[in-house]
Amino acid sequence: MSEMAVGDRGRLRTVRAHGVLAVLSAICVFPIYWLYATSLRRPGDVYSLSPLPWPLSVQSYTDAARQVDVVHLLFNTLAMAGLIAVGQLLTGLLAAYAFAAWNFPLKRLLYIAFVGTWLVPFQVTMLPNYVLLMQMGLLNTIMGVVVPTLCSALGVLLLRQHLESFPRELLEASAMDGRSSWTTLWTVVVPNMRSALSALAVVLFVNAWNEYFWPAMVMQRSNAVLQLGLRSFMGTEGTDWGPLMAVSGLACLPVFALYLVLQRNIVNAFVRSGLK
Amino acid sequence: MFVEVPAPPRPMDKAIKAARPSLPRAIRRAVPPYLYLAPALILLGIWVYRPLAQTAQLSFYSWNLLPTTPMEPVGLDNYRRMMDSPELGDALWRTVEVILGLLPFSIVIPVVVGLLTRRLGGRSRAVYQALVFSPMLVAPVAGAAVWGWLLDPRGGVVNQATGTSVNWLQESGYAQIAIILITGWHVLGFAVLVVAAALSGINGDYADAAALDGASRGQITRWITLPLLSPTLVFLTLMTVLLSAQWTFPLIDSLTQGGPADSTTNVYYLLWDYGFRSYDAGMGAAAGMLLFVGFGLVAAVLVWLSERLAFHDN
Repeated sequence: MSEMAVGDRGRLRTVRAHGVLAVLSAICVFPIYWLYATSLRRPGDVYSLSPLPWPLSVQSYTDAARQVDVVHLLFNTLAMAGLIAVGQLLTGLLAAYAFAAWNFPLKRLLYIAFVGTWLVPFQVTMLPNYVLLMQMGLLNTIMGVVVPTLCSALGVLLLRQHLESFPRELLEASAMDGRSSWTTLWTVVVPNMRSALSALAVVLFVNAWNEYFWPAMVMQRSNAVLQLGLRSFMGTEGTDWGPLMAVSGLACLPVFALYLVLQRNIVNAFVRSGLK
Repeated sequence: MFVEVPAPPRPMDKAIKAARPSLPRAIRRAVPPYLYLAPALILLGIWVYRPLAQTAQLSFYSWNLLPTTPMEPVGLDNYRRMMDSPELGDALWRTVEVILGLLPFSIVIPVVVGLLTRRLGGRSRAVYQALVFSPMLVAPVAGAAVWGWLLDPRGGVVNQATGTSVNWLQESGYAQIAIILITGWHVLGFAVLVVAAALSGINGDYADAAALDGASRGQITRWITLPLLSPTLVFLTLMTVLLSAQWTFPLIDSLTQGGPADSTTNVYYLLWDYGFRSYDAGMGAAAGMLLFVGFGLVAAVLVWLSERLAFHDN
């Protein structure tokens, strides 16, 4: 085989790789593009197939704003996702610190208790949890969505992995200096894990933002968060596609914005996190 | 000749005694990890394991979810009713359909794409990855909304572009297919990235050695790359089996509500239906327990498999 032929083959393979990935990317991105394109068409052009939404119009957005209080929804969803992400990060950090820095009886069993939550689907626990929320008077409140989700096994497992690779000498040196484990956590561990913590925070925030099942159950009769507000545009006969696309677009916008800014970190964190 | 000499008092014993801390100190030393674990464990206890136990208990009662009506113990009645009702069998079968339908998206396409594009490096690869991954970030209901629009029988792009007039979400054969395709679109990017990460983690020496021995590319893929990839494939299978019905839930709830004619009702949707539509808490609990045990067994088998497969590269 001549040098030339090998080079040609290599180039052919590169072209083929580009082709495969370009087609796949197009299929993945097209619905998202179409979502925003439709939302920006004039109401009369919604059924148009022209690839570019021209002339542009924000009519769909103003129509949607008239039907639901979008700002209120965005704010509620932000508060919900923010509280959940911070809570999960905090409980996860404390638990992971315990697993990584100490050896103690029942450690393995307790660890399995965290992993085991993946085998318990929401739908199995929903009735007792629903009843408990009712007794606590938290049904139809944001807190009712937040409180039951404040501990994420995912957060614990990921942070444990990070903390186990944390140099033990630093912990020991800190103890030698007479610092308590609590001070050590906040002055030695946390500052050194900032990037891992922020990546996980973003993943937890995105998951909470996109959560559907739990809010749907707790907020049955209201449209307090975006994912549920969207539902009120659907299902009835004769869907008004323009405003629906506008609200859908808004519901995805904060997540996409985070993604654009922190792209590589997010992808890595999601891939490492495995689930979700 | 041997003279017995009394053993000298061992200084060690004393030292150990001296080192043993007093009881309060021992407690103080043992307690911190539990304190740090406490918030997470309490939450798990209240919101995961307590309700799991209650569901187990509830599965032996008949109750309509109203606080005013008492729960009636009915023994194994719920389980018997469940076995007799055709709904559950149908829903289980549809769940299997969803899982099988999603395997191409979570395994086959990612592996093919991963193998074809492995050599591609640098910037263009990062761009493709970012694009392929983006559906994962679309909120499930927003995804359902867009696809409802794309598949709209009157003005949707799919029908207009292909010239067909299928009512995707309202015809029983097509609705299930549509749900599978939309879910596949959501998770494909994630699986592609996981496979790509696994492929880039495989040591190239094995393939090079095999190539030196005259192995063809196909042989290298079949006998070296795929076996080394198998733990990742088992992981993705486990995820698909455990989570696919979860992934489809928001789509079903917002697009088809389990219909038409129950053709998209899988087990998870059925559980939701028992609980919040028919208010048959006992039956829902019984089905939930069956599901929990069943998926637990499947997961155990897959974990065992992955441990058997994981010896390859060390």
